[in-house]
Amino acid sequence: MFMTKIIKGLVDVVSNIDQFVPSDPPPPKRPLAYASHNETDEERQFRKVFQQLAGDDMEVSPKELMTILNKIISKHGDLKTDGFSIESCRSMVAVMDSDSTGKLGFEEFNYLWNNIKRWQAIYKKYDADQSGVIGSDELPGAFKAAGFPLNDQLFQLIVRRYSDEMGNMDFDNYIGCLVRLDAMCRAFKTLDKDNNGTIKVDIQEWLQLTMYS
Amino acid sequence: MFSIGGVSTRIYKERLQAEGMGANDLAIKFLNQDYEELRRECVESGRLFEDPCFPAVPQSLGFKELAPNSSKTRGVKWIRPTELSENPQFIVGGATRTDICQGALGDCWLLAAIASLTLNDKLLHRVVPHGQSFTNEYAGIFHFQFWQFGEWVDIVIDDRLPVKDKELMFVHSAEGNEFWSALLEKAYAKLNGSYEALSGGSTTEGFEDFTGGVAEMYELRSAPKDLHRIIAKALERGSLLGCSIDITSAFDMEAVTFKKLVKGHAYSVTALREVNFRGNRERLIRIRNPWGQVEWTGAWSDNSSEWNGIDPSEREELNNHMEDGEFWMSFQEFKRQFSRLEICNLTPDALSDDSQHFWNTIQFNGTWRKGSTAGGCRNNPNTFWINPQYKITLLEEDDDPEDNEVACTFMVALMQKDRRRFRKQGQDMHTIGFALYEFLGSQNVHLKKDFFLRHSSCARSETFINLREVSTRLRLPPGEYLIVPSTFEPGKEADFVLRVFTEKQSETQEMDDEISFNLEDEEAVSEENIDASFKKMFAQLSGEDMEISVHELRTILNRVMTKHRDLKTDGFSLESCRCMINLMDKDGSARLGIVEFQILWNKIRKWLGVFRQFDLDKSGTMSSYEMRLAVESAGFKLNNKLHQILVARYSDGDVIDFDNFVCCLVKLEAMFKSFKELEKEGSGVAELNISEVSHFLLSK
Repeated sequence: MFMTKIIKGLVDVVSNIDQFVPSDPPPPKRPLAYASHNETDEERQFRKVFQQLAGDDMEVSPKELMTILNKIISKHGDLKTDGFSIESCRSMVAVMDSDSTGKLGFEEFNYLWNNIKRWQAIYKKYDADQSGVIGSDELPGAFKAAGFPLNDQLFQLIVRRYSDEMGNMDFDNYIGCLVRLDAMCRAFKTLDKDNNGTIKVDIQEWLQLTMYS
Repeated sequence: MFSIGGVSTRIYKERLQAEGMGANDLAIKFLNQDYEELRRECVESGRLFEDPCFPAVPQSLGFKELAPNSSKTRGVKWIRPTELSENPQFIVGGATRTDICQGALGDCWLLAAIASLTLNDKLLHRVVPHGQSFTNEYAGIFHFQFWQFGEWVDIVIDDRLPVKDKELMFVHSAEGNEFWSALLEKAYAKLNGSYEALSGGSTTEGFEDFTGGVAEMYELRSAPKDLHRIIAKALERGSLLGCSIDITSAFDMEAVTFKKLVKGHAYSVTALREVNFRGNRERLIRIRNPWGQVEWTGAWSDNSSEWNGIDPSEREELNNHMEDGEFWMSFQEFKRQFSRLEICNLTPDALSDDSQHFWNTIQFNGTWRKGSTAGGCRNNPNTFWINPQYKITLLEEDDDPEDNEVACTFMVALMQKDRRRFRKQGQDMHTIGFALYEFLGSQNVHLKKDFFLRHSSCARSETFINLREVSTRLRLPPGEYLIVPSTFEPGKEADFVLRVFTEKQSETQEMDDEISFNLEDEEAVSEENIDASFKKMFAQLSGEDMEISVHELRTILNRVMTKHRDLKTDGFSLESCRCMINLMDKDGSARLGIVEFQILWNKIRKWLGVFRQFDLDKSGTMSSYEMRLAVESAGFKLNNKLHQILVARYSDGDVIDFDNFVCCLVKLEAMFKSFKELEKEGSGVAELNISEVSHFLLSK
């Protein structure tokens, strides 16, 4: 009942996905020869670190991902955060994983990491009062800069889900939200190939999309 | 092929497959490279093609013996045929023996398959599309098509080939100016990641990738009694038959026996015949050496005296004296002289005359995932049942007058996907196999552990083996059977193709649960129905606003958890509680009112009972493989794909703790209900715009 009401409200105000600018789709997974030949030195070093953490299978589980990410952000003292939660990391793995192994390969991780770096820069820029969190008045600007202008309903949806009771969003939730928003837009474009603004899904597809996100 | 980008990418690929992408006449463009488009771009710009996806760099050669800076790859240059030869040709006068000479790579298995391909123009050009050359609008670009795990794939390459000391490193033609086989090998190397990935394999693997057929291998020293019949039927069907003599050392490779048979070399079987020889029926088999020379000189060879013992008209029909590589020998001699016979049974995936009698073919794509569908072999009774299951119904017995047994001949082939590509990471083929069970049920649901504890298999793959494909020919009475493919050990992850080939019509389907949710259990709760003690507790917990916040919910739940010391958990996280509130909260307040809280509370208590029931070892956590049973007990029926997703999303290693279990079920219920609301009048399809998608994916 209420859900239907909310849906109808949303329909009226967000009718076009084109206002969102998600990340470019992940590149096709290249043969290893290509990957290692075209890496920059930084990327090669990054791959080595990844391999040490991921082990021989070259894949990271959500726990390993959490360890990696929290190690990285602990070096940024200006981010007010308790670190990424296991739930956020599960979600990050889920939105990138297309074969249900529950793990990320290096290229997937690299793609995710590049997005996090980009969004982190925006986070710092829009945390105008240097509080270490994004306040509700700073939120629309930050999301717009990330490619996702928010209307009122989407704004409320996101605040309710990702901000605390004071309306502040910490780094973990900020990244978690953008990872999902970004993935959602790419998923929508993937499935709306005729570009008519809607997608059709059956129950299995629906559950695949919603349960693994 | 490989895709990243989440579930939607896989859904989209599955939709394309359902529309026919990957079928015989609609090959998938490998890495999205379109040959015609790329070629046109090169011709127009006047630049020769350079492939960014398989560059002319050391890493394309290999990773171990052929690794960058190894002795074997030192000094290697990448050179185009136009620079190697004054008059390079793609194919001259059709493919011939001298087109295929082995180079420095241990891929003789592949070359044997390529050699067999040259015997059948239609099959050859299925793999090597017509119209390619070094003259007509040459642009340094070529393409080939291979069958890959049920789909045809088009591979584009540039024509820079590895050269060392001015000679092609790998496959080459004897004359040195014909290049189709070297380019085909390059395309196959690209498909598998590097040239070195091609080292070591079975000819059957090459047969299948060139035709889409199913290969069988027979050791001739222990050949089945009906081998002759098998060969006769295979020839009748237009199958490819290859045979070889084993070698005992590298020195033997292509050594010639005293009667002029070549060891370690791929011959083809091209005919069977029976003749009257001195009053007896003699079975003859005709063999072809793709080299075109070096023929057998024993009994029934071109000039042997045995030909004088048969009717002259028959002799004239069968025998020829040309040194064309084709010769007859007796069937008994064949079994003595040769070691191995490989048959590639063609399917409609090979272009061939309609008059051929194909096997009826059914194919399934499946996956093994740790904790949800990778159950291991029958030696693992707790998990064997979680493997994917398929039902086959054999309807008609063979028409075989020689045999009075009422039985159906069929073949089951289980192939693991993409494993060659993982070699660089030290992984290789898993050990795989399958088992068959007689099945007398009437429902197509995923069978549980009890079924397999009570029944023995009635047939199985000959052995669990770490080949890309395990195939077994079987004969069973008409009836219904269950096929269970598995890896030997549980928890080994891979994708597979299961193919079933029957001589007669059959029905086959996956045994999997239909997706459904038991909505009747939904308990109507209104404020009047809530008992006083619950109201009192709620008031105490929620404070003045009479609503439960995220923090308050976590406090409540974790307090409850501490009273149940048997449950092992890190406690409900803030994130989990937020998820629950968003899923239960109907007025958008981000808090739970008393009705919402009562509903959630009732569910948690019910699910606690379910969780305990399936925590069989009382460890405080549930094994991942029990998740299917638990979720079903909670009222949700899901199929293999969805169970894989739940385990991937909510398990931690091999176990699921209670808070993740609850989160999973809360969300599952909410999503089932949402779909019901979005569905158009029971059509089974929901249509959503971006707003609706945002709502569900972001808020839950």
